Amino acid sequence: MGGHDAGSQHQFTGIAKYFNSYTITGRRNCVLATYASLVAIALFFKLKPKKQAAVTEK
Amino acid sequence: MALSFFDQFMSPNFLGIPLIAMAIALPWTLYPTPSTRWLSNRLLTLQNWSINRFTQQLLLPLNQEGHKWAALLASLMIFLLSLNMLGLLPYTFTPTTQLSLNLGLAVPLWLATVIIGMRNRPTHALGHLLPEGTPSLLIPILIIIETISLLIRPIALGVRLTANLTAGHLLIQLIATASFVLLPLMPTVAVLTTALLFLLTLLEVAVAMIQAYVFVLLLSLYLQENV
Repeated sequence: MGGHDAGSQHQFTGIAKYFNSYTITGRRNCVLATYASLVAIALFFKLKPKKQAAVTEK
Repeated sequence: MALSFFDQFMSPNFLGIPLIAMAIALPWTLYPTPSTRWLSNRLLTLQNWSINRFTQQLLLPLNQEGHKWAALLASLMIFLLSLNMLGLLPYTFTPTTQLSLNLGLAVPLWLATVIIGMRNRPTHALGHLLPEGTPSLLIPILIIIETISLLIRPIALGVRLTANLTAGHLLIQLIATASFVLLPLMPTVAVLTTALLFLLTLLEVAVAMIQAYVFVLLLSLYLQENV
């Protein structure tokens, strides 16, 4: 069973310091980023202006 | 009115009064109340010892904070155990075959564990949604899968108890009907069916106890993750 990771044995640099699947804060940030992305995608599709169908003259 | 096999699961009403309230409340009267005597009688001592032993065993993996749930988990166990076991008697109604009751127990208690986790240890509660050491490409998919499995937990808790008890009662009724119908036609087969019914009844007694225990155990596990 995975116990708490102190994170001391993982020396991450750059973006991996904040988003990794080893430290508890890294995992938390990944989860929050995934949720934020899903919400952003949902909002994008909800707020996207719908194209009006062109009215053709007969 | 022709009876169907599912009539045993209909919530009983008498003159507009829902009898399920009585079915839920009456098992309490079967248990001896604690006395003010220094030394209780044998039955009360046995009851106290078994409840204490069960609670002690259940709370072993929990920390001090989780021990606040001792009374709730122990009473839930006694409640479910008595409802399940009494339902195996003939002509009784089993409230735990009603999905509404089981979801009514599962959803608030599961939600309580999640809220406790989010409130007291939000980093750990959110971090648990991603298993340690996941490859980078799998991270978003696994988070979505873990979130779905988290949200499915209360439904699984309620439906597991409902389905196990409903299926058991239905099987007992089916095999008993078969045994009864076969008696004038094929007595030997009827005897074998009755033997099967006896074994099934033993199984249902075990299932009644195990399902009550599994419900409470899983709740304590969800609490352990969050407290």
